[in-house]
Parts: sequence; structure tokens; C-alpha cells
Amino acid sequence: MSGGARHAGVDVGNHIPAAASALRPLPQVELKHWGGYRLVRDKRVLDVGCGDGRLALGVARSATRVDGIDPDPEAIAAARRNAREAGVRNVRFAAGAAQRLPHQDASFEVVILSWTL
Amino acid sequence: MVDALGEIDRVLAPGGTLVDARPDSRVPAYVERRTPRGFQRFGIVNTSRLELTNDRASDRAIARVVGDGLFRRGRRGRFWHRVEFNSLPEVREYLRDHQRFVHSAEWVVDSAMRRRHSNDEFAIRRAVRFELLRSLGRP
Repeated sequence: MSGGARHAGVDVGNHIPAAASALRPLPQVELKHWGGYRLVRDKRVLDVGCGDGRLALGVARSATRVDGIDPDPEAIAAARRNAREAGVRNVRFAAGAAQRLPHQDASFEVVILSWTL
Repeated sequence: MVDALGEIDRVLAPGGTLVDARPDSRVPAYVERRTPRGFQRFGIVNTSRLELTNDRASDRAIARVVGDGLFRRGRRGRFWHRVEFNSLPEVREYLRDHQRFVHSAEWVVDSAMRRRHSNDEFAIRRAVRFELLRSLGRP
């Protein structure tokens, strides 16, 4: 491998937002520190600043539903592609800003800001 | 930032959980060489001034929404995460391109040592902080 860092055997570039998430901890590692899968089990989860869906897809198996939102349309396209490839059906991704969320009041039990603030 | 947290409070059900996780700029990151027995520290990498400013602004935003009674602080902690590289030039390239860190490490080994091990495996070990905040519902 050359020209960048590697994570879990995946070659990644340095600047592409959708690929940069590969430099972050694996979703299961982050979740373990936050208290484990019980945090998201059978919950409606919103991932704000979801990027390429790394974390959203990581928690989708346990959650009832996961919504991901990110201001970068290319990242959202990558997230949708990743969801399709992973066969994950209970996630939805949308381009948008955290300051104007396209969701109804009280529609999530968990909101995640991972490497976003 | 406070606007975003207020919006998150709106969509979060009362009693719901907000997770704030991000790199911990309060401690440096480390450049480490992989050895047969573990890792050897080669350098220290500090966070860029801009990112330090941004992180402090995030801290203030969280403190404000807690102070406003929107959230109650819960579990918090820190863990370490390694980003791995196949050589020291790759580490340098990463630091040069990465916006969060200053662009060069403070080396704790001499240049001869760095040259000798230039093609070894390396990692940047960085701290990640997290905090769980409980929504108290809109007042």
C-alpha cells in the first residue's frame, strides 16, 4: 500500500471525505466505549455528520432505524452505495445541515455526533 | 454550533441520548514504530491552533446547552486509536496533508534512528473523547 494510511486492511486516500472515515475507529470500537450495542438496540438513531455512513451502517443491525445526514452530497452518495452493497435496509441518508434537520420533533432516541462538532 | 445542538434537542425524544465523540485535542498524538514487542515512541504531534480553537468552541456550545437545561451530562471517557502506516514517509505525508494536526512531529529519536527505521511500520496513536448527554425535554 502506498500514499496513505491503512485501517483494517483498507487502502484509503487522504482527502476524500467518504474515504477519510476509514481513518477513524471502527464502529464497534466506538460503540463499545460508549456503553455497547444496548445504547442503540431497538432504537431510532440519527447520525449527524454521517459522512460515508461508516457509523450509521455499523449500528444499523441493532437499531430499529438509522437516519444519516451530512452536508456533503458526495459523502451521502457514497453512504447510499455502501448501504446497498452491505444490504442494509433500515438506513436512510440525506444531504443537509445539522442546523435544519428534516425530521419531526422527538423522532429519535439516540443522536450521534461522531467526529462532527 | 449551539443552533445545531438546539435542533438536535428538538428531534431527540425526552430522555434520549446525544453522543458527542471527537478527537481529544487536549492531549497530543504520538508517532510510534511497531516493534516485535509493541510500539516505540518516535515523535509527538500537536493539534493545530485552528482545531484547538474549534474544539474549545464545541466545548463551550455543549456547556451552554447543558447550562440552558436542555441536556444533562452523563458517561464520558477517552480511548486511544491507532492509524497505521507502512513507512515513516507515509506518516510525514499524512501529517503534511492532515488539517487537524500541526504538519510535522517533534521527534524524540535522532535522525539516524529515523533513517534506519524509515521503512518500518508506524502508527499515529491519537486520543478520542466521548460524552453521553441525556435530553431533558424542552422546557
